Amino acid sequence: MLDQRGILWVIATLVISMLPQLASMPVQLVAITLLPVAWRILAEFRHWKPMPIILRILATALAVAVLVSTYGGLVGRRAAVSMLVLMLALKLLETFRIRDARIVASLALFLCGTQFLFSQGPAMIVYIVACLLSSLIAFIYLQRSEAFAVLGKAPETDRKLLTELAFGASMMGLALPVGLALFLLFPRWGSPLWGLPEDALDARSGLSDSMTPGSIQSLFMDDSPAFRAQFETGIPSNSELYWRGPVFWNFDGQSWKVSYLSRNLEADNKPDPENAAFRYVVQMEPTEQKWLFALDYPAMIPGNTKLTMDYQLITTRPITQLREYVMASDPGFHDSPELKQTLRRAALDLPEGFNPKTAEMMANWRKAAQSDAEIIQRTLQYFNQQQFRYTLNPPLLSQHTVDEFLFDTQAGFCEHYASAFTVMMRMAGIPARVVTGYQGGYYNNVGSYVLVRQSDAHAWSEVWVSGSGWTRIDPTAAVAPERVEQGAVESLDQRRYMLDFQWLRNARNTFDLFQRGWNIWVVAFGADSQSRLFSIFGWEILGPAKLVIAMLTAILVIGAIIFLLAPLLLKFRSSKKPDPLSLLWKKFIRKLERAGVVSKPSMAAMELAANANSQLGYKGDVIFRIAELYTLCRYSRDAGRQTELAELINTFQSRSIS
Amino acid sequence: MATVAAPPVQKSISDNISGWIKQRVLAKRGPLTPPFELEYRHIFVLPTKFGSGFGFMLVCMALGGLNFNNNMALILVFLLGTIAQLTTLIAYRNLSGLKIDSVWSEPVFCGEDANFRVFVSNREDRQRFAIQAGFNQAQDCKDFKLNSSDSFLLKHPTLSRGWLEMPSFRLETRFPLGLFKAWSWVFPQTRCLVYPEPAKKAPPLPRSGHGQTGRPAKGDGDEIHGLRKYQAGDSIHRVAWRASARHDELYSLEMESPREDACELDWDLLKGGDHETRLSILTAWVIAADHKQLSYSLKLPGTQIAAGKGASHRSQCLESLALYLL
Repeated sequence: MLDQRGILWVIATLVISMLPQLASMPVQLVAITLLPVAWRILAEFRHWKPMPIILRILATALAVAVLVSTYGGLVGRRAAVSMLVLMLALKLLETFRIRDARIVASLALFLCGTQFLFSQGPAMIVYIVACLLSSLIAFIYLQRSEAFAVLGKAPETDRKLLTELAFGASMMGLALPVGLALFLLFPRWGSPLWGLPEDALDARSGLSDSMTPGSIQSLFMDDSPAFRAQFETGIPSNSELYWRGPVFWNFDGQSWKVSYLSRNLEADNKPDPENAAFRYVVQMEPTEQKWLFALDYPAMIPGNTKLTMDYQLITTRPITQLREYVMASDPGFHDSPELKQTLRRAALDLPEGFNPKTAEMMANWRKAAQSDAEIIQRTLQYFNQQQFRYTLNPPLLSQHTVDEFLFDTQAGFCEHYASAFTVMMRMAGIPARVVTGYQGGYYNNVGSYVLVRQSDAHAWSEVWVSGSGWTRIDPTAAVAPERVEQGAVESLDQRRYMLDFQWLRNARNTFDLFQRGWNIWVVAFGADSQSRLFSIFGWEILGPAKLVIAMLTAILVIGAIIFLLAPLLLKFRSSKKPDPLSLLWKKFIRKLERAGVVSKPSMAAMELAANANSQLGYKGDVIFRIAELYTLCRYSRDAGRQTELAELINTFQSRSIS
Repeated sequence: MATVAAPPVQKSISDNISGWIKQRVLAKRGPLTPPFELEYRHIFVLPTKFGSGFGFMLVCMALGGLNFNNNMALILVFLLGTIAQLTTLIAYRNLSGLKIDSVWSEPVFCGEDANFRVFVSNREDRQRFAIQAGFNQAQDCKDFKLNSSDSFLLKHPTLSRGWLEMPSFRLETRFPLGLFKAWSWVFPQTRCLVYPEPAKKAPPLPRSGHGQTGRPAKGDGDEIHGLRKYQAGDSIHRVAWRASARHDELYSLEMESPREDACELDWDLLKGGDHETRLSILTAWVIAADHKQLSYSLKLPGTQIAAGKGASHRSQCLESLALYLL
C-alpha cells in the first residue's frame, strides 16, 4: 500500500527534477504538465480513485497533441525532454502502487540527468543535491510502506523527517568521495560512439547564419557567457576587441544571408602566426552552431576547423560541448589586396527595386566624390550628424528597410546601422559585406581573462578599399562611440529588464571566475584531462594494460574509502545515546561478576539480587535495595530515584561484601 | 472441512538463487538453530527486482554521459551508484548482530494456522528498521529499538494431525531504499503439535460415565442456569429486571446447583468410519466435554486416560488423539 508520505515525496522529487525544464517550456505546456500533478495531490488528500483508463488515454493524447503542435514535431532535445516530463506527469494519474511510485521517482532522476544536456553550470549542483535528497527520502518511505505492507500500516518510529533528511544527506556525504574518485578515475571515451543527429539540435543561443533586424537585438537581452579568452600577450583595448563570427554577403532586401562561396572556399592567404600580436586561449560555451570566434585576423586553425576565404572559422560539427582552443590574431594582416571579379560582383550585388531614395542619394554622392574614401567618410558623417539614435526598441521597418531607417525612423541597433551602411556602400559601387560577432567584453581582474557575453553581440561592415583590402568600418561607432568604448549594455541609458542593475552585473562578472573554474575542472574534464591526471603517476599514455591497473587501483581505493567510512555512517545511525539506566545496571552486574556472582541475562533484577545474596552469602540489604531501585526506575519512570541508584551503585564495593 | 490453501509459491529468478543458496548453506554448514546471532557468513545480499531495474537505468545514464562526456550527468550517476552500493552495507548491518533467541509455538487444531513465534533480540546500541520474517513470502515486519527484543509471528497452514516441523524461514531486510535485500536462513528445530480437526457434526456427548447423570436439579441453587417466565411464587429477588424491562413481561432467573458430571469417551463407541473420522469426533467430544466442565475419560486402542478435567487433562487427551498411531 502506497502511503501518503511516500507519494507526496515522489511528487516532490518529480517536481524538483522538472523545474529547469518547466522554466524553458512554453506556458501552455507548463500548465498541461502541472495539471496531472495537481490532480494527483488532490486525489491523495480527497481519497479519489485512479482515473478511468479512457480518461487517461484521452489526457495523454491531448497532451501529446499540444506538445507536437508547440514544438512542431518531436525533433530536438528540448521537445524530447519535454515529452519525458509530460509523460512522467501523466504517469502520476495511475500511480497508486509502490511499484509505479518507484518508477516515477527513478525516472525523475533520469530526467535530472537529461537536464545536463542543456546546462552544466555550477548552479546545477543545488539541483543535483535537491533531486538526490528528495528521491532518497521518497525511496526510504516507499521501502518502509512496502516492508510493512503485511501489517497494513507501518508503525510510527521516532524517525521524523529531519532524521530522514540527515540520513539521506549522510548517505550522499559518504557517497561523495567515492563518487568523485569514480569521476576522476573512471576511463573516459576519447571520442563519442554515437553523435547527436544535427536536426536534434536546437541552435539555442548565439549568432545564427542569417541576420534580420531584430536578430541581434534579442541576443542583447541574454547575459549568459558566449566565451572567455585568456590572453598570453597584452590585452587589446576595448575598441580593438572585434570578435569575428559569421560574415554575410547576400542581401535580399530584408535580411542578410551567408553565401555558399564564403562558407565553402578556404582562405588562400593565411595570416602568419609568427606575426600575431595577440595570443590567447578561448573557452567557448556550446552554441550548437559551427562558428568559432577570434579577433581579426585569425592566424591559427584549431582542429576540425577550416578558415574560409572571408576569415570565418567554421567547424565540421556543431559545437555541442564546451570547447577550448588556442588562438593567435594578427590585426595588421592585409585581407585580399586584390579582389577577384566574382567576389567583387558578390560584394556589390543588391536586389532590384528596393530602397530607391537611398539609391538616389548614393548616386549623387558618388558623382560628387573624388574617391571611395571620401564616400565612406561622408556616410559616417551622415550617421554622426543626423539625429540618429542608438536604441534597443526601434520602430518596425517594412519593405524599404534602408529608406525607412535613413529618412523616417532614424533609430536602430547595430544591425540596422551595419545593414544600412553596407547597402549604401554597395549602391555607391564600393564592395562591402556585413560581419557579425561580438564586440568588447568584460575584463576579469582576478582571473585575468576577458569574458564575452551574448549581450556583447555586434554587427559591423567591411568595405574593400584598393590598396588596403577589406577594411573594418563600424557605423554604430559613428552614432554611439560609447558602444565600442564601454560596451553595449553600459552605453544604454535604460534598463533592459527589471533586475538589470549595474551592481548586479558587476557581481555576476566577478562570480564568472567561479563559473570559469567550474568549466575547466568539471565540465571540460574528459579523456585528455584524465590522461593528464594519470601522468602525475608517471603514465603518459594509458595503454590497455595500464588502464586495467588504473581501474583496479581505483576500485581498491574506492573499496578502502567505503570500508573506512562505513563505520562513521553506522555510528550516525545509532547516534542515540544508550539508556543511562541500562549503563548503570550493567556496571552493577560487572561489579557483581567481579565478586564471583554468576548471572544470566534472563534473570529479573530481584531474582538476580536474591541469587547474588545467596552466592555471596551476604546478609545485608544493599543488593536488594539496588535491585528494587532499579526496578522502580525502570518501570515507574521515577527520574528522581535514578541519582540515588547511581550513588548506590557507584559506592557499591563487592570486595567489602564478600 | 475448512482447508487452508498453502500460500501461492511464485518462483522468480531471485527465489531460485536464494533457494540454491539455502541448499548450499545447509550442505556446507549444517542447520543454524536458535539461539544464535546472525554473523557476516550467514547474511546474503542481492539486488531486488527494483534494484536491478534501477541499476539498468544507471548503466544507460552512464553510457549517455560517457558518450557525450557530460560530466554533470556522470557525477549524478556515480553518486547514485555509490549510494546504491552503500545501501548493501546498510542492509547487511541492519541484520548482522541480530540474535534469534527461540522459536516457539502452541498446539493448534488441524485446519487452523500453526502460529510460530520467533523471539529475536537486538543487543546492540543501534536501531534496526523494517526487518521482515517469513517462510517464502514475508509475513511479519518489525522495527527494533536499541537493546530491545520482539517477536515475529509466522503462520503456517496445517494439513494433517501430528507433529508439524517448522520449515526453515528467513529474516530479510530491504532497508533503506529497497534496492538490495539482505537475508539469512534460519533452520529452527521447532515443531508444532497439530490436534485432529474437531468434527463439525459430532454425535451428542455420550453420558454413560460413572458420575451422576441426568438433568441437574433446577430451582434453588447458586449458579444461574437460564431465564423463564415469572410464575407466581417466584422470589422477588430472582426477578431478572433487565430482561423483564426489555420484554414487557416478567422473567425470573432459573438457578441450578453445580454438580459433578462425567462421561467416558471411548473409541469403541464409534462404530464405522475411518480412523481420522473417529479421531475427529473424539476431538470434538473432548472439546465439548471440556467446555461443559464435565469430567471425562478417554479410551483409545492401547491408550487409556483416566477421568479428569482441566487444561492439562484436555491437552493430554488431545495430544494422544493427535499422535494416535503416528
